[in-house]
Amino acid sequence: MPTTDTHTPILGSSAATHILLGMLNRRIHVPRAAAEGLEVSDLSVAYDGPPVLTHVSLEVTAGEIVALLGPSGCGKTTLLRTIAGLERQQAGTVRLGHRILDDGTRFVPPERRRIGMVFQDGALFPHLDVGQNVAYGLPRAERRSSRVADTLELVGLADMVDRMPGSLSGGQQQRVALARALAPRPGVLLLDEPFSSLDTSLRVQVRNEIHHLLLELGVTTVFVTHDQEEAFVLGDRVAVLNDGRLAQVGTPDELYRRPVDRWVAAFVGDANLISVDTAIGICRTVVGDVPVVGDVDGPAELLLRPEDIRVEDGDDGVVELVEYYGHDAMVQVRLDDDTTIRVRTGAVLTHQRGDRVGVTYVGPGAVALGV
Amino acid sequence: MTANATDAPRTAVVGHRAGVRRPPRTLVAAAVVTAALFALPGGYVVWRVMGGSGSPLALLASRRTIEPLWRTIQLAVLVSTSTAVLGTGLAWLTTRTDLPLRRLWRIVVPLPLVYPSFVGAAAFISGLAPGGIVHDLVGYLGVDLTTRLHGLTGSWLVLTLFTYPYVYLPVAARLTALPGAFEENARLLGDGPRRVFARVVLPQIWSSIAAGSLLVFLYTVSDFGAVHLMRFETLTQTIFRTRLFDRDRSFTLALLLLVLALLVVAAERTVSRSGRRRGAGLTTLGDRRSLTVPLGRWAAPALAATTSVVGLALVAPAVSLADWGLFGFLRARHGGMPLRLDWHDVLGPTWNTVWISVLTALVATVVVLPVAYLVARHRSRLGEAVNAVVVAGFAIPGLVVALSMIFWTMHASPFEFLIGSMPVLVFAYVVHFGAQAMRTAQVAVGTVPRRMDDAARLLGAGRLRRLATVDLPLMAPGLAAGAGLVMLSTMKELPATLLASPIGFRTLATQIWNTYEALFLPETAILAMVLLCISAVLTWLLVVRRSEHLR
Repeated sequence: MPTTDTHTPILGSSAATHILLGMLNRRIHVPRAAAEGLEVSDLSVAYDGPPVLTHVSLEVTAGEIVALLGPSGCGKTTLLRTIAGLERQQAGTVRLGHRILDDGTRFVPPERRRIGMVFQDGALFPHLDVGQNVAYGLPRAERRSSRVADTLELVGLADMVDRMPGSLSGGQQQRVALARALAPRPGVLLLDEPFSSLDTSLRVQVRNEIHHLLLELGVTTVFVTHDQEEAFVLGDRVAVLNDGRLAQVGTPDELYRRPVDRWVAAFVGDANLISVDTAIGICRTVVGDVPVVGDVDGPAELLLRPEDIRVEDGDDGVVELVEYYGHDAMVQVRLDDDTTIRVRTGAVLTHQRGDRVGVTYVGPGAVALGV
Repeated sequence: MTANATDAPRTAVVGHRAGVRRPPRTLVAAAVVTAALFALPGGYVVWRVMGGSGSPLALLASRRTIEPLWRTIQLAVLVSTSTAVLGTGLAWLTTRTDLPLRRLWRIVVPLPLVYPSFVGAAAFISGLAPGGIVHDLVGYLGVDLTTRLHGLTGSWLVLTLFTYPYVYLPVAARLTALPGAFEENARLLGDGPRRVFARVVLPQIWSSIAAGSLLVFLYTVSDFGAVHLMRFETLTQTIFRTRLFDRDRSFTLALLLLVLALLVVAAERTVSRSGRRRGAGLTTLGDRRSLTVPLGRWAAPALAATTSVVGLALVAPAVSLADWGLFGFLRARHGGMPLRLDWHDVLGPTWNTVWISVLTALVATVVVLPVAYLVARHRSRLGEAVNAVVVAGFAIPGLVVALSMIFWTMHASPFEFLIGSMPVLVFAYVVHFGAQAMRTAQVAVGTVPRRMDDAARLLGAGRLRRLATVDLPLMAPGLAAGAGLVMLSTMKELPATLLASPIGFRTLATQIWNTYEALFLPETAILAMVLLCISAVLTWLLVVRRSEHLR
């Protein structure tokens, strides 16, 4: 590690100075200043057949972390690759900071976009060692500088410079891939399902580490996931894509509490949808009175999240299924009118399969979705 | 279950399609030039026949055409049938039974590939001739051996012994990959071992057998050396014999041979493609252990059969050659006729053989690489078309390629300076063997994941830097293997070398041929053994060791 402090020797040798200057050095290398805003407007992409993306517009402010969430095949990876310039768009504009990357007339090729990308499996160059991988994107003069060591230290792998990618664990590979993408100080960082190749226990750990790092560095980040939890945990905002269109963009709680339609409602979490003739003020339903958020004058569905309902002794229906998760449990109740309601309860089970129970709405109010 | 199996590859293809980029123009241009060059020899044959003085149809219908054609097909059918049986049998014995020493057999059985067919034929004929080991041994017993190997029988025997590995290798690989679970299930469903083989194993390996036999068919119709030594006049012989005095006939027959070879290659491609489709998804099955069938009282006969095949195809020719070589040394030592070879006569052709095949291998690899990129990375239709032209080049017998190129250089006005020059020889080799580099090059390009290239691009690397720092290092092992195959084939190739070599350019193959034709058998044996040693090393490294059935 002392080799990284190439600027320090002239300034004395006291340990404190050394450490302080080391930190200063690191500060200088942090690409905070590089973060840029990303703007995608009215983007359409089609391969030989039907369109993959239709009129997608998304604005990411500098330093923000945005998750692209959607089912497989919805076009989220295509959106990411189009931003990177790896796919060509049919229409629309991609802008990074003040630079137009593609507006149909000008096309900046990927190698000149200053965009960092981490692929699903890392895509480390297997024939280059960790240090060479990280140095790959640096200008020739910088490849031998402390930049490589510094970036590796950011991801906590400073001692792995000489290792070959094949000898690293999946989590380490992903962190090297991140270091490689960050080293050239990209304006925006794109992550394509970066945790999906890791097994469950490791995934949460690596995710946390990377989350901290991204926040610390203030990198503008767009990442793709099909995992709702991952999107909510990491994303400052979440953009939900469905079938090539942006269904909704918002903070995680906006999406969860106030989805724009029943598809988003069901995609971002468990949803009980109760049909009502008209949703104004307070609605009388099978689970009791429900205050309505966003009145709909006419037939509508109320979105009742499972944790907003309580199961108690009563006579509304029968417990059909109990899924016990440890930290909580999901109880599915078949009401006497044959609708089923899913209820999230605490870890202490009060009712069992076959019990007759009552269900009551206890939440702050339900969003009404027009049908 | 079935829906799953058919859906999976399709979605994978769709997913890949998404990442496909339009190929750069330079690549397209390179591929078009490649196609034009590879089509030149075949195209010139067609053009010559169409523009010839006589009517090609009348020539085709004449008895002097029908007879060699008939002999060629007869031989090819016989050889491919016998290799199908022999190759499949040996493959089954060495991969699926408890045959004693089967690990050894798996290494040894494909080794007859080492022999160029003319060297093998020469070894057999000289072994039986007076002074040969068999003749002499039998002579000690008081029998004067008058049997000679020649004609259909001789050609059939020799070609079968030296080409069965073309069936053995793919079938053994398939049998090894075939999970035992299929056979176990069939057994549980009530079939005995024989019926399991017929109903489960055979349908699975059928396409490998067919593809292998078709390769043997192609090898046989293109063969020049072995049938020549056996004095069996097939198409190649007639083409060779008439090339100077009756060019119309020579070219018409060349066209006939060309069409025959193309048909065979087309059939081979179809068969192996359908085999791959049928085998798709096999490798995803977890249990890759294959069943071992106990031979019981059949162990001894099976062992005897395997030993005698390997003995005849691998040991006997080597012993016969070694005997002649030794005889030559001893004769010279004891004051008899001296060897008409000195070190110079061995090292010169050896060096020529090595550098011309290395050069050919390099050129072939460079030439096919753009096409491999188009096919494997850009999935381009044009790439597929060029690929087909290159594969067709493989179908054209070396004799025809060389013949066509020689007459082309003689008649194409600005290119006369090429007559009898080294570039023509290398070109003929490249056209004939480029397809061997193509297959491995496509696999090599396919092994570099698109994401790797994308990652390098996003890190700011332009096309040349990506090629130099990412693609080439990752493809190197695959490309080297393909180049090695081309090298191996080039050093074994006889007719193209004989016809297209510049005057005075001697390689091992031509020198073996010339000394044999001059009946200097000890000299032939010594040169042949040098060629066999080099060929053995390459065959071991590139064919046997890499084949899947050893894993």
